[in-house]
Amino acid sequence: MNTDATFHNEPLLEFRRESVRAQALRALAELRTKLPLRISEVRNAPDTRISDVGSGAGELISTNPADPAEVVAIAPEASATAAGDAVATAAAAFREWSARDGSERAAVLQRAAGLMRERRLELAALAVLEAGKPWPEADADVCEAIDFLEYYAAGALNLEQGRPLVQLPGERNTLRYFPRGVCAVIAPWNFPLAIPTGMIAAALGTGNTVVFKPAEQTPACGHAVVEALHAAGAPAAAVQLLCGRDEPAKALVAHPHVHTIAFTGSVAAGLSIVRAAAEPAPGQRHVKRVIAEMGGKNCIIVDADADLDDAVPAIVKSAFGFAGQKCSAAARVLVHRDIADELNARLAGAVETLRVGQAEDFASDLSAVIDEEALTRIRGYIDSAATTPRAVAAIPDGGGHYVTPTLFVDLPSDSAIVNEEVFGPVLSSERVADVEAALAIVEAGPYGLTGGLFSRSPRTIDLVSRRGIVGNLYVNREITGAMVGRQPFGGGRLSGTGPKAGGPDYLLHFVEARSVSENTVRHGLVV
Amino acid sequence: MMQAVIGDPRLRAALFRFVDVRPACTNSAELVRHLHEYLAEADGSGTARRLSSLVGRRSLRLPTASVAALGVSAMSRRFIAGADATAARPELASLWQRRCCATVDLLGEATLTDAEGNVYAERCADTLRVLSEASSEWPARPLLEHDGLGPLPRANLSVKVSALTPHLRANAPRRITEGARERLLTLLRLARDLDAHLHVDMESLDSREGITELVLELLSLPEFERGPSAGIVLQAYLTDSEEELDRLLVWMRNNPRSSPFSIRLVKGAYWDHEVVAAIQNGWPAPVFTDRRSCDRHYEDLTRRLLDARAAGTPVRPAIASHNLRSLAHALAYSDHLGLPESALELQVLRGLGDDTATAIAAAGRRVRVYSPVGDLVAGMAYLVRRLLENTSNDSFLAAQTSGADLDVLLEKP
Repeated sequence: MNTDATFHNEPLLEFRRESVRAQALRALAELRTKLPLRISEVRNAPDTRISDVGSGAGELISTNPADPAEVVAIAPEASATAAGDAVATAAAAFREWSARDGSERAAVLQRAAGLMRERRLELAALAVLEAGKPWPEADADVCEAIDFLEYYAAGALNLEQGRPLVQLPGERNTLRYFPRGVCAVIAPWNFPLAIPTGMIAAALGTGNTVVFKPAEQTPACGHAVVEALHAAGAPAAAVQLLCGRDEPAKALVAHPHVHTIAFTGSVAAGLSIVRAAAEPAPGQRHVKRVIAEMGGKNCIIVDADADLDDAVPAIVKSAFGFAGQKCSAAARVLVHRDIADELNARLAGAVETLRVGQAEDFASDLSAVIDEEALTRIRGYIDSAATTPRAVAAIPDGGGHYVTPTLFVDLPSDSAIVNEEVFGPVLSSERVADVEAALAIVEAGPYGLTGGLFSRSPRTIDLVSRRGIVGNLYVNREITGAMVGRQPFGGGRLSGTGPKAGGPDYLLHFVEARSVSENTVRHGLVV
Repeated sequence: MMQAVIGDPRLRAALFRFVDVRPACTNSAELVRHLHEYLAEADGSGTARRLSSLVGRRSLRLPTASVAALGVSAMSRRFIAGADATAARPELASLWQRRCCATVDLLGEATLTDAEGNVYAERCADTLRVLSEASSEWPARPLLEHDGLGPLPRANLSVKVSALTPHLRANAPRRITEGARERLLTLLRLARDLDAHLHVDMESLDSREGITELVLELLSLPEFERGPSAGIVLQAYLTDSEEELDRLLVWMRNNPRSSPFSIRLVKGAYWDHEVVAAIQNGWPAPVFTDRRSCDRHYEDLTRRLLDARAAGTPVRPAIASHNLRSLAHALAYSDHLGLPESALELQVLRGLGDDTATAIAAAGRRVRVYSPVGDLVAGMAYLVRRLLENTSNDSFLAAQTSGADLDVLLEKP
């Protein structure tokens, strides 16, 4: 149903060329001169409801994870009351926005994509500073945001045509898709541009109105997304930014006039949203729908016939890229015992070559984790491990929230590191008897997000493709970096509701199908 | 068999996958299982189907495995001169006897750790010592030992920077230069002390900037002013290789070393990789995508190199190709410029250009055979790449073996 054939991913910046790196560093220096960004002051659209949804409850201050003394942005912090006001505004705007022609809404998304394309270096620099994303990942975040806008614009247009039904003489049957109402978008900090853009674009493109709460750590990135949409012609009331912590998020989830909740974040937060959304609030006349993308404990299976020259770098990239702070990141390696010693030795040596440093330094493989809380949590896991790490990489001295990239080998199977989502640069490697045993381990866990397989046997690849329970299986490659239109992203079990962002079915979560059957017989004649 | 493989892409894919997995199979049952699976996937290929049903027969499993394993070993011997430098000594001596010189390349698995970088550097050092010692016994071969610019070392090693360091980061050439500096420095000193030639290979575009910076930086050091004899590689398939050549020539003029610098001109061996990476990332391809433009560019660069030499730049041009037209063009242009015959070196790969090497040597011109050394496991990536090259539709060699008309083969690109 999507016009996939004509879709092309936004090209990544070619950072291997010196001139491109120099451009990026200039954009970063330019952005630095504007810091701290005052969210209420940097807005473009005159009618942006940014400062006025803040109730004066306080301020959110985002800082550079690699240098917490550097303040990136200051945003007004919204209260529950402000969230309620925003929903009321969005509900009032729904009639007008949903009545617009689908092509008009698609054009807004496409214009927003164009605006982000024009500002892509600046946006990438913002993700570098506010989320501590190394350049290639920050750039990929911008590209993915652009991809979502383009892909869902095309998808929404396609959806407008409805679906064909069986037609009999004397009746005319149609199936059309309609927007649901107000959509609350609650987004994480780890893809501070791409993930909110995707959720918002899907909701807006299909005719819903949106109240968007970015993660408290990345308000400036969240603001940049809304700014682009407003500048592209989305009415201020149709997409509103609500910076804040838990309070406004909870208020959004509980609000009787919210129809859809699009959430990406932790399992605990996701499950509490599912619970809260299930209980109708007074005055609520619909069942809320929750689209949740949650955590994972992603495994990479390495069979005895794997090519370790390929497997080791891919595992390292999957586990330690962006300091492991991706829901798709690799947490466990399940390696065939015949090659376990060799793999572990090479993996350990490869981990030791990792360079941890400022995200803005092109020489850094990974940077600091997002904040103090994350730092403490991840260090707690490492310190409580039953065995000493097999390998670590050095971290810089200084103020950043740096966590030592750490590899554990053969931890007891009941270890916290083996079973819980650490969401940091920590990898554990366990040996298994064969692929069957590895699959049994994957099945025994609660998650089903991403997974990897290294094997050169077509039969093994086929077996794991069919038996694997993960939403995204990657064979003989890294398990992160899903591309819009190419690797629709998301998994089931406790990893989420399996919405498959960037795939042909994603928009269906934001709409309701209605069918009309009309009797076309008049006076015994089919007219 | 080669003809059947060239003509049948599915069979070709199946066989390459088999060659690729061969070292990872620890027993014959594993070997047969993989072969069977690859052939079964190559549906649509009649030959593959027939082979697949043969391989599937229980009674034939063991013999099939032995034959398949043997086939791979025999193939590898054609391309690989020996398991290490010592084992390759007779081959290299016999080559010298036949008036061909060599450069040795050490095959290995990817370097993913610093320990592996050290092992590779140690192998390089050992190889330099063995080559230096072995070659001292060889008879005099004036054409192979001097050009107009001075003596040419008998011992000649090609090194890969990506094997010297695990810090290969496309976006940070500094990581490459820092990671490989100490080890390359040690090898350059050893080569200088042993009077050997050290040639730095070029690999994928991801590492070009780092490798070039490192080589030029080190060779600019005062301690290397008088040696060793050293060189780098220029890849003609890169559309910007003209500017890269300029950079090298400018450096040579600004850093007059008494030891001349050698530039090996190749077409480039990572074409598929460069094109696929560019498509997947949405970049313009950094390489020529049609063969004729690439061949034309190769000839342009050949002329520029020889022009520079004729104009007095102390550069040693080495034209490395299996395309007879490219080789003939270089010879003719060199003669046209009135350069001495010894000024131009031609290079071919062991196993692919053996006949060409013999013919060049018989014509009294200098030819160097790029001779990989290493064990089968380590050599697999190299072997697969050579086989792909040899059987691709665009391959000069494939066209030559299939009996294409000489006029067509030598057509102006």
